[in-house]
Amino acid sequence: MPVLRSREIPPVPPKPPKARSKVDPPATPTQGREQPATRLSSPHSLTPSPKTAGSVSGSAPYSLRRSLRLSSKGSSNVGDQVGLPEVEKCIESLNGDVSKKRKLSVDVDGGFESGGSRVLSLRSGVKVTKRSPLGDGDVNGGGGGDEVVESNTKGKSIAETEYIEKSERDNEKENVNRKRRFSSEEKGKGKLVVETDLESKDETLVNGSVPDVEVPAEEVKSPDEKPSKRSNRGTHRGRMERFRDTARRNASRFAYFNNQEEEEKEEEDNNNLSMEAEREIPSVEEQIEEKVAEDWPGPFSTAMKIIRDRAANLNVRQGSSSTGQVPSLKINWVPQKGKGKDGSKRLAPSLLDLSLRVLVDNADAIASLDHVPDALRHKLCQMLCDSRRMNSSLLDLLLSGYPTEIRLKECSWLTEDQFTECFEKCDTSNLTVLQLDYCGQSLADYNIPSTLARSPISLPALTTLSLTGAYRLSDAGLSVLVSSAPALRSVNLSQCSFLTHGAIEILASSLASVLLELFVDDCQSIDAMLMLPSLEKLEHLEVLSVAGLESVTDKFIKEFISARGDGIKELNLSGCGKLTDSSLKIIAETCSILRALDIGNVPKLTDNSFGHLASGCRSLESLKLCRNTFSDDAIAAFLEMSGEVLKELALNNVGKPYHLQDAQEICCLSLRVLKLFGCTQITDVFLCGHSNAEVEIIGLKLSPLLEHLKAAVESPLQKNTWRASAWPQAKLRFGAGGKAHKAPPHHQEVKAEKEMRLTIKQLLQT
Amino acid sequence: MKKEDTVKLISSEGMEFVIDKEAAMVSQTIRNMLTSPGGFAEAEHGVVTFPEINAVILEKICQYFYWSLQYSRGKETEFHIEPELTLELMMAANYLHT
Repeated sequence: MPVLRSREIPPVPPKPPKARSKVDPPATPTQGREQPATRLSSPHSLTPSPKTAGSVSGSAPYSLRRSLRLSSKGSSNVGDQVGLPEVEKCIESLNGDVSKKRKLSVDVDGGFESGGSRVLSLRSGVKVTKRSPLGDGDVNGGGGGDEVVESNTKGKSIAETEYIEKSERDNEKENVNRKRRFSSEEKGKGKLVVETDLESKDETLVNGSVPDVEVPAEEVKSPDEKPSKRSNRGTHRGRMERFRDTARRNASRFAYFNNQEEEEKEEEDNNNLSMEAEREIPSVEEQIEEKVAEDWPGPFSTAMKIIRDRAANLNVRQGSSSTGQVPSLKINWVPQKGKGKDGSKRLAPSLLDLSLRVLVDNADAIASLDHVPDALRHKLCQMLCDSRRMNSSLLDLLLSGYPTEIRLKECSWLTEDQFTECFEKCDTSNLTVLQLDYCGQSLADYNIPSTLARSPISLPALTTLSLTGAYRLSDAGLSVLVSSAPALRSVNLSQCSFLTHGAIEILASSLASVLLELFVDDCQSIDAMLMLPSLEKLEHLEVLSVAGLESVTDKFIKEFISARGDGIKELNLSGCGKLTDSSLKIIAETCSILRALDIGNVPKLTDNSFGHLASGCRSLESLKLCRNTFSDDAIAAFLEMSGEVLKELALNNVGKPYHLQDAQEICCLSLRVLKLFGCTQITDVFLCGHSNAEVEIIGLKLSPLLEHLKAAVESPLQKNTWRASAWPQAKLRFGAGGKAHKAPPHHQEVKAEKEMRLTIKQLLQT
Repeated sequence: MKKEDTVKLISSEGMEFVIDKEAAMVSQTIRNMLTSPGGFAEAEHGVVTFPEINAVILEKICQYFYWSLQYSRGKETEFHIEPELTLELMMAANYLHT
């Protein structure tokens, strides 16, 4: 390209001083880069590293870049190929655009300088010589070296461009710190890692980051796209996907960099033919990650790559955000393998916890629980039940006065006599919540009339009832109980093995218009088809759990869902081994407001279910899988489509070896709880590198199991009242570097990430 | 202790405890009182009254504030609580969000 050549920077300058001319906003690093590009066979080899303005990166420039890049990438689907001249123009405009600075990948320079230019192969396959752009202080740490990005995959160019731009921006942000001259060693590294192949080359993912503080501009290489993954999307999304993929891949590189990375990069370089200059921009990376995560189309390998890069590139973050606002927080993004929390600032245990612990230890000395609010009572009960210190005298204390809520998650210590004694004198007129889990030993048909159901109006306010494990309770006993509690809205009869479908009939006859939640997990004597008519009579049923009932078949689901499916918000079908994809299809079609779904241990489900779910249940917030045989691709694809709303995801022991790649896909930004019991493939790369600051990851090997147990103390009708107690929900922050802390930096990070995310989104939308 | 850095907590009996603002901010409730933009009297004068908390408990709470600051600075010791105070302390802690 003549235009490029006209740039002052020679293609392979031993010391490209100008490279970092990024100093002036419109720096011409790109020029430098472009120059080499010109030599490339394909005109598009330009790997514009977007110059990031020190402070503000407009999305527009990026998009501009992107298109240029795209066009320059002959390979990709870019329709209009913009020739170099366009690129030039872009660069020119960039130059003129203060906000855009081009970051050169400098690291590579080192090598270049010494031995001639490194050749980076652009995505399009063009090889661009890399130069050490390092100029002064320009953030763009890298020398103006040309970035050669070898793009084997098409369509990533744009994304790459974006990343580069972003990284540039970030680099600029880190100007002050970055203004280090690249040592020759650094330069020699020629970072660029660029991992082309996401799937295969994990290690090559590069840390692309500039060694130390420098952030060499790196061009992201678009990894090879997996055709299979793409196919999920559909051709119409190909282009955007590619962009996203590229962005995603690059993002990780931008965020971190350190010496370690350099070495890794070198290694990668050795391994990889193609190298991309990457700019490290911690904040940018994060933001990019975040943003990309939102519309997450691409191949899993991309995601994995990014995460790996990120983990590898942990470095001191300058805290610069893409908007240049530089939160100025210093977060050490050192991979915290197993370290979990940053030891510098420990959060002191709260006074509440401390006093509860002392109280539990001295439970016998408690004389009265008057004036203690319900929430504290529940917490106390839970801790007492956990430590097996609960006894009948404490129960008396709880039942004294006019109790409103009684929650005993474990009553197996309660004998029948104790139960009768305690409840005989209890005034239950204000009772709204009664939870006596595992009360089999105490509750039988004959002691109900004298205790709980002393009169037909003995439980007038009772809305939530849980009598799990009441194995001596029969249909008749339940009938007596229910007749005294006309306002029941949530009934949990899990593991009451004596109950038959008659019990459901009883419920339907007296509670048809009020019952909202019904749990009949593991009630082995209940035949699903026989209870179907009664179920259909429950007009407002929102939550149904039939976990473990083998008699639940496709036919049952079909008929029930057709009748009541449109009101169902939560469905628990775990362990219903006879279900197939057709049930999921019906569920997806009818249950439009479904919020939570548990389909663990249903081995016959295949990836098609995900297809149905993705298209049907748009408001799914909680998805629980366990020992299913879904493939990683399917789950990832589903997450892409629905991941934004997803708050809780459990992937315990999902069939095929769950690759890290998939785990990376789980960067859904709304995700708050992530359960990964049995997922042996998740490594710290994901844990340290995922971009969701608020997610709790539960179930990985390094965390002690008991930490996960936490009782749920929620209002009676909250949908997760019972279920929460079944699912461990420990607040375990795992290896997320500084993110685990609520220290200010955390928030700033998150903010920075958000900004990054937005920018990327803007970029991707162009 | 400079006056600007301190807050005064008043128990139900009228006993006043003057502590550092930083210590008082350990309690989320107090923090909100002192930093909310509503122009509350507490924020203006740096005085917060607790008619439901008695002096013994309030004193213990102040001790907890300082212990908590110390803990987060690295010095991890143990905070002993007399069992007879626990119940009320628990309720006060719940109210103060600490």
